Amino acid sequence: MGALAFNGQTVALNEEGFLEDPTLWNEALAEALAKSEEGLEALSEDHWTVIRFIRATYEEKGAAPMVRAICKTTGLRLQHIYDLFPSGPAKGACKLAGLPKPDGCV
Amino acid sequence: MAVDLELKLAALTEATLAKGLAVFRQHLQGAEVSYLNACVRCGLCADSCHYHRAEPELENVPARKLDHIAAVFRAHCTPAGRMLPGLVGAKRWDRDMVRAWVDAVFGRCSLCGRCSINCTIGIPMPSLFRAARRALGAMGLVPDDLQATVENSLQHGNNMAIEREEWVETLEWIEEELQAETGDPGARIPIDQQGARCLFTVNPREAKFFPLSLQASAKVFWAAGEDWTLASDAGWDLTNYALFTCEDDQAAAIVKNLTDAMTRLGCQVLVIGECGHGYQSARWMGPEWLKQAFPFPVVSILELMDEYLEEGRIHVDPTRNPHPVTLHDPCNLVRHGGISEPQRRVLRRSVSNLVEMAPKGLENYCCGGGGGQLAMGQYRHRRLKAGGIKANQIRATGARIVAAPCHNCIDQLGELNKEYQLKVQIKTVAELVAAALVTPLLAEVQP
Repeated sequence: MGALAFNGQTVALNEEGFLEDPTLWNEALAEALAKSEEGLEALSEDHWTVIRFIRATYEEKGAAPMVRAICKTTGLRLQHIYDLFPSGPAKGACKLAGLPKPDGCV
Repeated sequence: MAVDLELKLAALTEATLAKGLAVFRQHLQGAEVSYLNACVRCGLCADSCHYHRAEPELENVPARKLDHIAAVFRAHCTPAGRMLPGLVGAKRWDRDMVRAWVDAVFGRCSLCGRCSINCTIGIPMPSLFRAARRALGAMGLVPDDLQATVENSLQHGNNMAIEREEWVETLEWIEEELQAETGDPGARIPIDQQGARCLFTVNPREAKFFPLSLQASAKVFWAAGEDWTLASDAGWDLTNYALFTCEDDQAAAIVKNLTDAMTRLGCQVLVIGECGHGYQSARWMGPEWLKQAFPFPVVSILELMDEYLEEGRIHVDPTRNPHPVTLHDPCNLVRHGGISEPQRRVLRRSVSNLVEMAPKGLENYCCGGGGGQLAMGQYRHRRLKAGGIKANQIRATGARIVAAPCHNCIDQLGELNKEYQLKVQIKTVAELVAAALVTPLLAEVQP
């Protein structure tokens, strides 16, 4: 079990750095996760576009969107998304959007 | 997670314990029983195990893991164990031993089989550990995240619960990208092509998050002029996580998706994309699970690419891959699957400088992510530590690219890349072949 110090509180993370409780997510927490888990000091507007879309899809459908949907909706190129999140769409972008770790070979 | 396990252990009833033991005994085939008492404690297996090499402690010695299992067998299934348990090292099947089994076979083993081939008497450890995992499964002790992946396959026909519409839309998108890349509006990703020669299968993570490898495979098929298709419904996902939970009935139901799609679409050859456990499941375990020989050949895309190159159906220019490349050997593909040379022949033709790891091939070290480890979050720390052996191997080659013909390995290698700061790129073999392809059409669009 991991933990993240945030606004004077401790937020529980699982062993892989995903939020134990996805309902705790907010944008300030995403910034803290970006620093501690992805080594990103600042999030650009493109980062936010991706993170917000993933979060909205998760809240609507309970699952992460396909990378196709991310590209189509945000208008960003696939390679740009990989560049934005060094750990990839699953362990990078979905983690910052406060989702549970996706199932499968990720 | 450890808390979850303790709660589950506390809730175990005598009846559940008895059930687990019965399932274990039921699945020990005759030959394997003799192996349970065969270990001579020579210790050779200790050095063969990546867990033990990374953390040299007693519980990481394969013989020790086996002994937790054998001790219970002796106590309940042998006269000496019943009468003189202390003398023969027999231990009753109680919560402490259940905990020891969970820790040994889920927490410290990727079923890679390297201990077996280095064992003085060839004890089939993965097979015995699988019997133990199956017993634990019967008691509801498979880690939840591993079981969730199996449930996805059973309910949705793929292990990431991708909907049909999402899958098809992704394929149409990749087809457009392929057409742009090749400059050929006729470059296709055929879906449900009735009577196509090859039914191609992929790992759902390619569709969900990493479609470039799928595009690369499609580009190779395009260049070879292959008659191929993907299924739009169940039968496109090559994974089978029941290989790791060891629930054979569920494994059979999952592999049946592939055989049903072969029948439905009337294809002749089942082609497994770059995946270790998917190949092992479809090629070797599938007929066992379904209790029938398949009426069609099952081949890896690596074998197919090897054939294309050998027969001159595709041509490559290795100078298009100028950086040194090393090759990772997925345990399920190489040690368990028997596919070792095709990918080497393919890479020797497609890259300028292939630098092999030591050891390699049959003696390769697991990346640490096999046996379902990648899905079991609670053991992540051990997984990354054990993967340190592979990280050192990669670093020693000086390679800048690691070719890894398995998506599960690719994800673990990606984590090792970050953890050990290897600064390498990790690619499938098809991605390297696709980058090196030379065709008349490509010669026109590429400078």
